[in-house]
Amino acid sequence: MRDFVLLMIGAALVNNVILARFLGLCSFMGVTTRIDTAAGMGLATTFVITVSSMADWAVQHYLLDAYNLGYLRTVTFILVIASAVQFTEMTIKKVSPELFQMLGIYLPLITTNCAVLGVALLLVEGHMSFIASTLFAFASSVGYSLVMVIFAGLRERLVLAQVPRLFAGPPIAFIVAGLLAMAFMGFSGIATS
Amino acid sequence: MSRDMHSVEGIARVVGVDGATAWLEPEQTGGCGSCASANSCGAGTSQGGIGTVANRIAARRFTLDNISDLHVGERVVVGVAERALVSAALTAYGLPLATALTAGGIADSYRGGDFATMAAMAGGLITGLLLARLVARRLSMRGELAPRFLRRAPVNPPPKSPCGDLPPGGQKHLGRPGVFPGETCGGSTT
Repeated sequence: MRDFVLLMIGAALVNNVILARFLGLCSFMGVTTRIDTAAGMGLATTFVITVSSMADWAVQHYLLDAYNLGYLRTVTFILVIASAVQFTEMTIKKVSPELFQMLGIYLPLITTNCAVLGVALLLVEGHMSFIASTLFAFASSVGYSLVMVIFAGLRERLVLAQVPRLFAGPPIAFIVAGLLAMAFMGFSGIATS
Repeated sequence: MSRDMHSVEGIARVVGVDGATAWLEPEQTGGCGSCASANSCGAGTSQGGIGTVANRIAARRFTLDNISDLHVGERVVVGVAERALVSAALTAYGLPLATALTAGGIADSYRGGDFATMAAMAGGLITGLLLARLVARRLSMRGELAPRFLRRAPVNPPPKSPCGDLPPGGQKHLGRPGVFPGETCGGSTT
């Protein structure tokens, strides 16, 4: 149990997908203009990363490893992720058309989010059990969502701030992102993954 | 979208009127398809076909009670409660994930095998989706998920970049507070 908790803390805070591994940076800059959209995107990404990592683990162990097809890993994982997104979209549409109308716009954006593929490839490197890899993927995506919401909150405040003309726009956003990354460095040493 | 006191607003276009019901299509204001290369990568809103943004927007058409005498082609501002987006996301994604992880955790602690854990998680996921369906139905009955008509939007808006107004020369203002020049206002994900 303690190992799982440390694994999750490490994945979410110490080795954060965005701030330590630099994955999913486009959505980090692009979908963080408002807190509610960042939270919606974060939850959708959390769901897709966790579900696709479960499928990726099964494909890796029962197909790629079993038949010595490791060289097809990246292509196979991309296919699995695209299928997971499509499955999610179809399921949400079936479960509740109202929810699909409200949230459906985020799903196609996740297909090309490199954080999803990055987490899947990290799982393979980790040689973890199914439950450990699922918890690692879940914690990684929770860390992603956490940073998205924090950064969206900072950007909502930045809009109201008097930023010097030279720094306005992406420069101040990148400076804030850098400061946020430095703040997350404070978690280093708590746990490793 | 802009923030009102208690609602998230978006612009939609009336694409059909059927008696007391109006059909609306949300306008794509951000996300993939809003960059300068949208038409070359197939994400442009002007293109049709499977998987394109135009196709996805068409799939997200919704209805409103036409109490404001809306006509086809009109642009209107619609809104949902500010917390509705987050509660909808929690219902659709959070609930199934929670049940799947709980089922997987219980199975792992009792049986310990990967296959049993995987089967339990799949079962938990399906249970969570069924629960999400019930919760979504309750939210829908309360009217929390339905967009409301707020006001009419300008019919012919001035040409806009994804992040704000374009100046006369077509160049974005560098250094405009609150707008990030060169960004797409969201959606491009790598």
